[in-house]
Amino acid sequence: MFKTTLAGLLAHKLRLLLTSLAITLGVGFIAGTFVLTDTINAGFAQKFTADAAKISVAVLSKGEDHKVAAAELEKVRAVKGVAEAQGIVSGTAALIGKNGKVAGDFPTAGISIPEGALNRTLITKGAAPKSAAEAVLDENTAKTRGFTVGDTITVLDSASAKQRFTLVGLFDVGVNQELAYTGAVGFTTDTARRMTGEKSFKEIDVLAADGVSPTDLRASVAAALGSAYEVKTGEKLAHDLAAANNMDTQFLTMGLLMFGMIAMFVAALVIYNTFNILVAQRAREMALLRCIGATKKQIFGSIVLESGVVGVISSVLGLLIGLGLGAGAMAVLGALDAPVPVGVGVSLTTRTILVGLVTGIVVTVAAALLPARAATRVAPIAALRSQVEESTVRTGVVRAVFGALFLLAGTGATVAGVSMEPGQSALVVVMASGAIFFLGVLVLGPLIIRPLGAFVGWVPAKIFGVPGRLAVTNSRRNPKRAATTTVALTIGVTLMTLISVITATTRETAGERLDKQFPVDYMIATQQRDSTIPRTLASDLRARPELASVVAIREAEAKVNGRRAEVGTFTADPAFTLTATKGSVKDLGPGTAGVSDGFAKNENVKVGDTVKVAGRDFRVVALLSDDTAPVYGVTIPERDFDSAFPKVADKQLLVNAKDGVTADRSRQIVEAAAQPYPTVLVASSREVRGAFDDALDQILMIITGLLGLAILISLLGIANTLSLSVHERTRESALLRALGLTRPQLRRMLSIEALVLGLIGALVGVALGVSFGWAATQTMMDDITFRAPVGQILSFVALSGLAGVVAAVLPARRAARASIVGSLASS
Amino acid sequence: MTMTTDVRQAVTARGLTKVYGQGDAAVHALRGIEVGFATGAFTAIMGPSGSGKSTLMHCLAGLDTVSGGEIHIGDVEITKLTDKQLTLLRRERIGFVFQAFNLLPTLTAEQNIRLPLEIAGRQADQVLFDRVIDTVGLGDRLGHRPTQLSGGQQQRVAVARALISKPQVIFADEPTGNLDSRSGAEVLSFLRRSVRELGQTIVMVTHDPVAASYADRVIFLRDGLLVNELHQPTAQTVLDTLLKLEA
Ligand SMILES: Nc1ncnc2c1ncn2[C@@H]1O[C@H](COP(=O)(O)OP(=O)(O)OP(=O)(O)O)[C@@H](O)[C@H]1O
Ligand SMILES: [Mg+2]
Repeated sequence: MFKTTLAGLLAHKLRLLLTSLAITLGVGFIAGTFVLTDTINAGFAQKFTADAAKISVAVLSKGEDHKVAAAELEKVRAVKGVAEAQGIVSGTAALIGKNGKVAGDFPTAGISIPEGALNRTLITKGAAPKSAAEAVLDENTAKTRGFTVGDTITVLDSASAKQRFTLVGLFDVGVNQELAYTGAVGFTTDTARRMTGEKSFKEIDVLAADGVSPTDLRASVAAALGSAYEVKTGEKLAHDLAAANNMDTQFLTMGLLMFGMIAMFVAALVIYNTFNILVAQRAREMALLRCIGATKKQIFGSIVLESGVVGVISSVLGLLIGLGLGAGAMAVLGALDAPVPVGVGVSLTTRTILVGLVTGIVVTVAAALLPARAATRVAPIAALRSQVEESTVRTGVVRAVFGALFLLAGTGATVAGVSMEPGQSALVVVMASGAIFFLGVLVLGPLIIRPLGAFVGWVPAKIFGVPGRLAVTNSRRNPKRAATTTVALTIGVTLMTLISVITATTRETAGERLDKQFPVDYMIATQQRDSTIPRTLASDLRARPELASVVAIREAEAKVNGRRAEVGTFTADPAFTLTATKGSVKDLGPGTAGVSDGFAKNENVKVGDTVKVAGRDFRVVALLSDDTAPVYGVTIPERDFDSAFPKVADKQLLVNAKDGVTADRSRQIVEAAAQPYPTVLVASSREVRGAFDDALDQILMIITGLLGLAILISLLGIANTLSLSVHERTRESALLRALGLTRPQLRRMLSIEALVLGLIGALVGVALGVSFGWAATQTMMDDITFRAPVGQILSFVALSGLAGVVAAVLPARRAARASIVGSLASS
Repeated sequence: MTMTTDVRQAVTARGLTKVYGQGDAAVHALRGIEVGFATGAFTAIMGPSGSGKSTLMHCLAGLDTVSGGEIHIGDVEITKLTDKQLTLLRRERIGFVFQAFNLLPTLTAEQNIRLPLEIAGRQADQVLFDRVIDTVGLGDRLGHRPTQLSGGQQQRVAVARALISKPQVIFADEPTGNLDSRSGAEVLSFLRRSVRELGQTIVMVTHDPVAASYADRVIFLRDGLLVNELHQPTAQTVLDTLLKLEA
């Protein structure tokens, strides 16, 4: 039996390869994920270890505040066995760009570059700062802001005063994610403290004197400082940093593995289908084996064995591909300047090998179990029947009932989820019901494929004449096979559509919110959350005749009904309206207040109630929607606010230009007015939207790319099914050729069949994706604006059809090339 | 030898040779066949197994390439045509009936019959269609699929399909090989009727002397050569000739 199986496999190498490829890709992706994250982890660990090797002992705060009192440094220096100790400063020190404005959306970090042996920062160009007039910049910020060694740079100190430094060098932020994100300026330790205003250190690094072991030193430093601080050896520090980092990469691993699992599921469908077809095609062979004495068990075993061989081959290939993928992804990340360690060897762990092999083999064999069981049901007598006609699905009442039940359950659960309060649990309910509904589609697939085929094939059958009509009939002739083939594609398309619906809806909803929140041409705010805009800017702007309105928003913290909360106000102006969810904003006169929805709910405040703000009573006349309320808390009229909080500067300015003033002109005016205030940034509504759109586009692109794998595998499935069908219909093709069908017509016939399959898969996927995308968005927030990106969705459908046609190229070529006489003779 | 083709010959072959394989493994299936098939005649090809009957038929029908010699169908020398031209020629001028698997399982009997016309994008001649359907005697079963028809009925559908496009010649390779004698007789009389009544030209390969006796003429092959022929054969004369051949 074993030999027969192997001989059978070897006789069909190409088919074996195609089948394996589906699993190979899935395993490759999973293995690649592990290889990538392991490599990153290993690189980080290596880097941390190398860094930490420079220090013997580190002193850290026990809490989350990362503060070690400055006075401790002298205590540490006094400990016996300490050769050297340095305090590490880390805070913010906003770099001013060449345009005179702070650089970036977030202020750059200000860090100390310790001198001597304890320096862990890698200076890549120039030198470390040695005096109070020198500073260094991280390479990336220097590049994007156009600074080179020798330039003079301006940095804001903690009092927002401009300080000038000579740029003496550039450094590499290495694997520090935070510094990589904000950019950083490095100073000598004293200068860093002065610039950032940090009174304490983030960490104190200690170097042991010759002959003192880090462990001993750690003990004596800890003894000197008491229990307020955590004292670690360098080795332990490296270990802890690496562990914390592993937690971070675990998210990456999990996220990627999710896509890997989707791909594996699709691959399992492809394998299942392939084995089903193989079993059907070999029914006579099986029957013959049964006739000559093979037991059911042996037949079952031979199919399982075959799948096992396929599983082993494809998993091993998958591991190799995974290795390549991991290395490739590292190279790409490195090239993109992502803060990952570079120049480390790709790491292939035993775990990766085990997980890859086990997943690949288990999925393959499990997918082949049902087909193997079907093979045992072939009666020996089948060997004597002349032609095994293809399976016609018995109208399967059981199937219909089960399918319908799943659909009903899925629909019911979706309705329940949608009507729940928006939030995580509602989303989970909707996703789960999506899965149930999908099972229903899976079960009903063979029943709905015929009507769908007729529907989708209507146009091709009309346009492409005989090949078209034959193709459409062929696509519907084996509903089970067609259903499984297309469902594999449906999965990918469903998820793609789902994601694009969700992003489009988010984009639209957020856009509308921005419009509400931001019904203005320019928004002026500061780079740092807790700083403000001097009131002079607002009055300067109001003096400009080109501007129609300048609304200032101010906020302060005060006791509201005895508890600390935010209190805000805004300049009354027709350009700025608040949306009331209860009551009316028009009534917001002296002595009254509007309360934001969320705050009102938490504090149980209703319209008509009285709230005590900073010792004064205000009558609540409106509840404000959270989107438009100036603060999450209580909004009171400007006059009342100013008398309660007279010194508060503006938090935000909303500026509208007069009609007829060009965008260029108004922008120029606003920017000129803001120029003297380096921390004040001007954004136009278009820019805010643009940044948001870019972020969404990027997410969409990444997810689409990751889902692409599942789609690729399902296309392999189409190619595989088609080539098996072509093989099965060799004589039919020959007959058609004899009757005068030309080679191009035969090829076209197969392409159209694939087109129809692809379109069915895509249409079902689009329907599911849009429905569940709608349901999912309903659970995410209140009053969303649903949007299905029609163009994108149509392009999914078109691309699926096209991809089907591409998948058919090889099988179609083979079919067209076969000699008529040879094919007629084949049995 | 003159190159002009006798107009009364539907198909002629001159010096036809066919070699399969190369060198030591070469099989000379046809070794120089000279033969003509008259228009409106029913010709049977007979010979021992492996004598080259199928090969000859495939070459004559343009399904296979020849190694040497030439074949004319009507006034067209098919040995010079490209694959595309051959396909179009088959579409327009040749009908086929094979031993088995003649019909597309997804189409009904009627759709199968109309298939060649549809492929060629031609309209069915309704008078001819009715007449063929009438002759084929399947009136009430036209909507059935092949699996719902008996072997004899399937073969009759195949013959009807071959007739419907009014081809210059119909080639049939053991059309009754898979049938019992009664169903075989139905198919054979149908073939003969179409020659008599519709003036169809038919070339049929067969093993069965009784089947051959339905033909106007029988030619005999042995080892790739034309060795004998009979006109107005009976089952007995065919059998005698065969026995002599095999002796
Ligand atoms: N594709 C092929 N490759 C090699 N040899 C072939 C091929 N087809 C036929 N032959 C050989 O050519 C010779 C003629 O074969 P052909 O099939 O024409 O015989 P036949 O008269 O039709 O026999 P049968 O009555 O058994 O059908 C035989 O010796 C056969 O083995
Ligand atoms: Mg033969």
